[in-house]
Amino acid sequence: MASVSFDNIEKNFGKVKVIHGISFDIADGEFVVLVGPSGCGKSTLLRMLAGLEEISGGDISIDGKVINDLDSKDRDIAMVFQSYALYPHMTVGQNMAFSLKLRKADKALTDERVGKAAKILNLNALLDRYPRELSGGQRQRVAMGRAIVRDPKVFLFDEPLSNLDAKLRVAMRAEIKSLHQRLKTTTVYVTHDQIEAMTMADRIVVMHDGIVEQIGTPLELFDHPCNLFVAQFIGSPAMNVFEGTLRRDGARMWVDADGQQWPVPASTSGKDGQAVHYGIRPGNMLMLEPGVGISAKVEVIEPTGAETEIIVKVGETRFTLVLHGRTDARPDQSVGLQIDVDMVHLFDRADGKRLS
Amino acid sequence: MKRAWSLRKVSTEAQLLLVGIPVLIWTMIPVYHLFLFAISPRDKATSGRLWPENPTLQNFEFVFGQKHFYLNHFWLQLGNSLMIAIATGLITLFIATTAAFAISRLKVRGGRTVMNLALFTYFIPAAFLAVPMYKTMATYGLLNNRWSLILAMVTIASPYCIWVLKQASDKLPWELDEAARIDGATPLQLFRLVYVPLMVPSLVAVGTYALLLAWNEYLYGFLLLSKETDLPLAVALGNFLSADDSPWELLMATGFIYALPPAAIYYAFKRYMVSGLTAGAAKG
Amino acid sequence: MAEAVAVLPGKRPPVSTWETWGRIMVVPYLAVFVLLVLYPVGYGLWLARDPQSYRQLFDDPVFFRTAINTLVFVVVAVNLKIAVALGLSGFFMQTRWWIKIIAMLFILPWAVPSIPTILSVRFMLNPEWGVINTLIFKLTLKDGPNWLNNPTLALSLSMVMHIWKSLPFWTLILLAGRMSIPTDQYEAASVDGATRWQKFRFITWPSMKGLYLTSTLLSMIFTLGDFNSVYLLTGGGPADLTHVLATLGIRYLRLDQIELAMASIVVALPFMLPLVFFMMKRLSK
Repeated sequence: MASVSFDNIEKNFGKVKVIHGISFDIADGEFVVLVGPSGCGKSTLLRMLAGLEEISGGDISIDGKVINDLDSKDRDIAMVFQSYALYPHMTVGQNMAFSLKLRKADKALTDERVGKAAKILNLNALLDRYPRELSGGQRQRVAMGRAIVRDPKVFLFDEPLSNLDAKLRVAMRAEIKSLHQRLKTTTVYVTHDQIEAMTMADRIVVMHDGIVEQIGTPLELFDHPCNLFVAQFIGSPAMNVFEGTLRRDGARMWVDADGQQWPVPASTSGKDGQAVHYGIRPGNMLMLEPGVGISAKVEVIEPTGAETEIIVKVGETRFTLVLHGRTDARPDQSVGLQIDVDMVHLFDRADGKRLS
Repeated sequence: MKRAWSLRKVSTEAQLLLVGIPVLIWTMIPVYHLFLFAISPRDKATSGRLWPENPTLQNFEFVFGQKHFYLNHFWLQLGNSLMIAIATGLITLFIATTAAFAISRLKVRGGRTVMNLALFTYFIPAAFLAVPMYKTMATYGLLNNRWSLILAMVTIASPYCIWVLKQASDKLPWELDEAARIDGATPLQLFRLVYVPLMVPSLVAVGTYALLLAWNEYLYGFLLLSKETDLPLAVALGNFLSADDSPWELLMATGFIYALPPAAIYYAFKRYMVSGLTAGAAKG
Repeated sequence: MAEAVAVLPGKRPPVSTWETWGRIMVVPYLAVFVLLVLYPVGYGLWLARDPQSYRQLFDDPVFFRTAINTLVFVVVAVNLKIAVALGLSGFFMQTRWWIKIIAMLFILPWAVPSIPTILSVRFMLNPEWGVINTLIFKLTLKDGPNWLNNPTLALSLSMVMHIWKSLPFWTLILLAGRMSIPTDQYEAASVDGATRWQKFRFITWPSMKGLYLTSTLLSMIFTLGDFNSVYLLTGGGPADLTHVLATLGIRYLRLDQIELAMASIVVALPFMLPLVFFMMKRLSK
């Protein structure tokens, strides 16, 4: 277990700069998720930590020691790959024992470590099988077992669940999380799926186009996204965002949009007439009888069993609401939207930064 | 109701047979003739019959017993062919495997150039290189040493083998190397414990190719070796031709024996050979 | 951060273990290349440096004849062979049990060494007791021709021998190319009402064009180097009239005229090198 530090990291591929000066720290034992859309640089950052990519600028440190010039094998890290990268010609047991075999560890130590890892991941029955005989989920567990046997300072995960089907993904998420709670090893986890990030991370690093947009706990990012990108990236279904104009009249503040007046929180900064983006999450609105709050028209009702997603239209803009339970609303019905003012997010339209 | 034999089906089968039977006959004639000669007694071989009146294994007896002037060193020469072929196969395998690993997995600087050099060499017809090679071996003092033939064969076989192995290597997932590096593997460990085991089918194809190339070679053996006890069987067979009164049926019997191992190997390793070797070539 | 380090921050030391081992592992091949390719080639070119050799060469009627033979051999044999290979590749695509058996036997010419088989054919062609003339006599009561004593027949037979030996290889290559064409294209064409010829013209041929060209060019290079088919069948005779470039070098060597041998090869280079570079471009992608 160890702390990890990124200090002004830069990465160039030829003339193209893909990572622009990223700095942040990971505390000992933390589970940090790097999340962002494809091409944001999260995998590249992870691979630089792993020693699989050259570092163009800046320093990466593990436990206070700069590791830039260390070979992968000397960094005391273990990595779980998206495609598992199991050695096809070795059995599960041999796969897991491989790193120890390379160090010429004695049989007793190898058996003990492999046995322990196999027990944690429920792999005992599969030790003599070959990777081609295993299912996707089993292979993923073997890949994790291989990492556990290493007993490293840091675990690295590179989109490990992307190749699994939805149900399996949910199960594996829980397994990885419980593994972390058990072993308490510092973990850096890369994914493009914000749900994975939200459910597993102690802290999330949201990346975009080679920079860090925001770092925080899942709830911090959910409740207080610092810019428009983070606000729209985190949360599912995504936050409803539309363009409007901030108005001030003495002590009163509101946003003009779609011909209606939208409430804003009292803490909002910003000038009268400022162009803004107005954001409200699907779960922070109530649907009431028409005449109350914002006037809207129901378009589509999508019951998902325990919840109901409703798409309404205000003028030309579509909004998604999520309601618990069922509703007896009908398409084309007129309704009123009551907005939870404290959960409104305002962003300056020019630079995307948070105003409220 | 569908009839089992429609006119169209019959005509298709007939057309196929019209191609297939000539192809079969064309393919088998020289081989069958060889076999025929080998099992015929001396004067009857040329009778034009489809199957000899008195098929005999006597010719083989003569060959194995070295009971003729030209066959004095049969076993020795067979041994030479074997030794030269195996040595070529093994050495080529070593050279090609290490080079392909360095170029494909270690991504050594200048790897592309080495690959191009090899490819270029492959396209020089061996017959053109023969005379200079003869002089070169003379310079190195290797004439009349079986190693000259082995080295020459290695030179000719290596380029194609490197290319085939590189193509096959490129298909191995990159993450295996990365996982091994993170697991702590040194380059040698990666080579020995991950690369080679995964490349076995290609290695078999390539090693067999080099082996058979050397076994089948005539020109270089003929140029580089002259002592009868050094000759591979191929060259010894060619020497039969120089006399008018050669025992043709013994020549054919020897030739038949000489032809068996390659045929057997091809059929045994057919799977590896076809996929391993044509995969590279079919890229064009 | 570390003080007084000669290396720029963030950069690795110049040569990693991995790069070092990479270099070590190409050394065996490079050694072979330098000692056994570069040196002989250099030596050969050096031997061919005398312009006098070329004058002698062009004055030699054997050389002239050889050049023509080689041209005819390469152009005719290769094109015939690849065209037939294309046709046969279609034949071998058919799934019949007996076609599979024929395919297995079809590989024999390629698998079996050429010395016994070429000699076998040579004996078949013997004018006195060879099988062919024996059969001709039995059927027509006339003597068959002296096959290998007629330069045109002899050269043609060498070509036939060459084709016999190399056809399986190219058929396999083209077959592999054919098999990579997705079958649903053919199925769609069937539904659209295409004839067999149309399927070939609009589906098979466009997919195979590139491979056909590559195979033809590569085969030309290989055919230039076919020593056995000519030497073992005709020995270059009668009267040095069936030599090709591959056998000519050996003839000059035998006559102790090694400079001429090398000169004859150098003369072929302007024709060969463009082919080689073209092939390299196609294959080193």
